Amino acid sequence: MKKIILSIFILHFFIVSALLGQEKKDEVINIFEQPILITSAGQSAEVQIASVLAKRAGLSAALSKAAFANELKGIRTLVIVLGVSLKGLGAAGLDISQETNRVQILVDDAQRKNIPILCLHLGGETRRGQLTDDLINTFLPFSKMAIVVESGNKDGLFTSICKENHIPLIVVERAVDALQPLKKAFK
Amino acid sequence: MSFITIKKETIKGSILFLSIILISFFSGKQFLQMHKKDIIIQGPGISSKVKLSVYFPLLKGTPGDTDVYVFKGKEEGGNLLILGGTHPNEPAGFLTAIILIENIHVDKGKVFIIPQANHSGFTHNDPHEGNPQRFPIQTPEGIRWFRYGSRLTNPVHQWPDPVLYVNPSGQKLSGAESRNLNRCYPGKAKGNLTERIAFGITNLIKKEQIDLAIDLHEAAPEYPVINAIVFHENSAELAALVYMELQMEGFEFRLEASPKNLRGLSHREWGDTTKVKAILLESANASHGRLKGKPSVALIIDGKDKNYVKASRIGRLFVPFDEKGIPLKVRVGRHVAAIKAFLSNLQEVELGKGIDITNFPSAREIIEHGTGIYLEPPK
Ligand SMILES: [Zn+2]
Repeated sequence: MKKIILSIFILHFFIVSALLGQEKKDEVINIFEQPILITSAGQSAEVQIASVLAKRAGLSAALSKAAFANELKGIRTLVIVLGVSLKGLGAAGLDISQETNRVQILVDDAQRKNIPILCLHLGGETRRGQLTDDLINTFLPFSKMAIVVESGNKDGLFTSICKENHIPLIVVERAVDALQPLKKAFK
Repeated sequence: MSFITIKKETIKGSILFLSIILISFFSGKQFLQMHKKDIIIQGPGISSKVKLSVYFPLLKGTPGDTDVYVFKGKEEGGNLLILGGTHPNEPAGFLTAIILIENIHVDKGKVFIIPQANHSGFTHNDPHEGNPQRFPIQTPEGIRWFRYGSRLTNPVHQWPDPVLYVNPSGQKLSGAESRNLNRCYPGKAKGNLTERIAFGITNLIKKEQIDLAIDLHEAAPEYPVINAIVFHENSAELAALVYMELQMEGFEFRLEASPKNLRGLSHREWGDTTKVKAILLESANASHGRLKGKPSVALIIDGKDKNYVKASRIGRLFVPFDEKGIPLKVRVGRHVAAIKAFLSNLQEVELGKGIDITNFPSAREIIEHGTGIYLEPPK
């Protein structure tokens, strides 16, 4: 009898925690407001994918690949697409330290203005590497939520940073799968 | 005594002289083999075949003039240009163009295909690279052979190279780049042969009001822009849509914006000087790379290389590379899949510019069964 009670207790514990886990997942619904400013950290072309996804999700979003703080005027959410492309940086006439500075100023200003940040990493494992990882380490902790493509999180970098900073992390299989969570995350 | 010595030397000298003559004769013959043209069979869907010189008469009769295959649909729609053979040592682009030429029917819109954009580059093949002059493709009814040319215009057709090359867009490059078609855009009417070819292609884009132009390439697995879609900023949305569609079909690509400060390239200058949406596609060709082992027909076709497997293991490559290699059929399949995805999304960003093609070869079929299934039998 004791055993049965214990089993029921344990089962109950698992069900409740599963439900709680479910609830935790639901937390990422309606947490952001529009309009949105989408910018890149690292100038990789995935910022274009984010822009298309936002459009598909019916969100009011402006794309500015190398946005400055003055562009935050009237903005309710800042979306940062993480990923370094050397070609992209070259095209924007930026080096990695200038790019990091730009994003840092933008993030600081967003924090001052209470504009929440949503971080995306959509390029998968081919868009990782030291330079990208530095940006992830620097800016991901400032975000209120993150959506990443699974293959880019093979080593669990996103998982560990998000866990440490209590940031809800949504892992999707492909960039296109980010559409639904993105849609849900906005009011 | 001295008489005998002289005689000996004369004999030695004569043998040497004769050997040189023979070697020159046979190597010369071999060398000229590269001038033998590839056979491209006109598929049933072709409306006409014209020369590039139609768009720029100064090219007429030069080794830079090349064939343009035209497909006209019954219904008005968008206009597409596909370029293979910008770099004749990148066979996936060339072969993709040939497969389309021999198969497609266009119902709506117009399609222009140039399989050998730098025709002169097909007439030689960088002897120091040791690549084979031709590679075979097995079709169900026999083998067809195609040339494996050089990245650059034949120096016999354009010589000498300047020490420093300033291209038509004003960028300074090393001298040999004056023979690289993909550094010479938008071209120059009174320029060197390669600049004239570029000028002809730019003229075609303008005159035919091309909406979408795709330049097919291959690059070494150690090159950072690989398995990539490079897009001009005027086609950013289209490229992103295509990237996602390809992902849904199981093809991983890398999306790269065309750098504004890298001048003379197709994806930059076409987009800057005309209204076309300019795209460049790269696949990974081991026979192109610097880390490759022995160059061979097998390396071109099967794309297997031990050195690249090693390089991949220590993280030096920008594309996955294992014992299976990256065969030509996979590289062509990827190009075909990407072209198809561009066509299916073009209508979405440019209303009324749809292009409908039937008999479009299947990327999956090519990857599974090889390119030969979509080629006409040898004639
Ligand atoms: Zn190339």
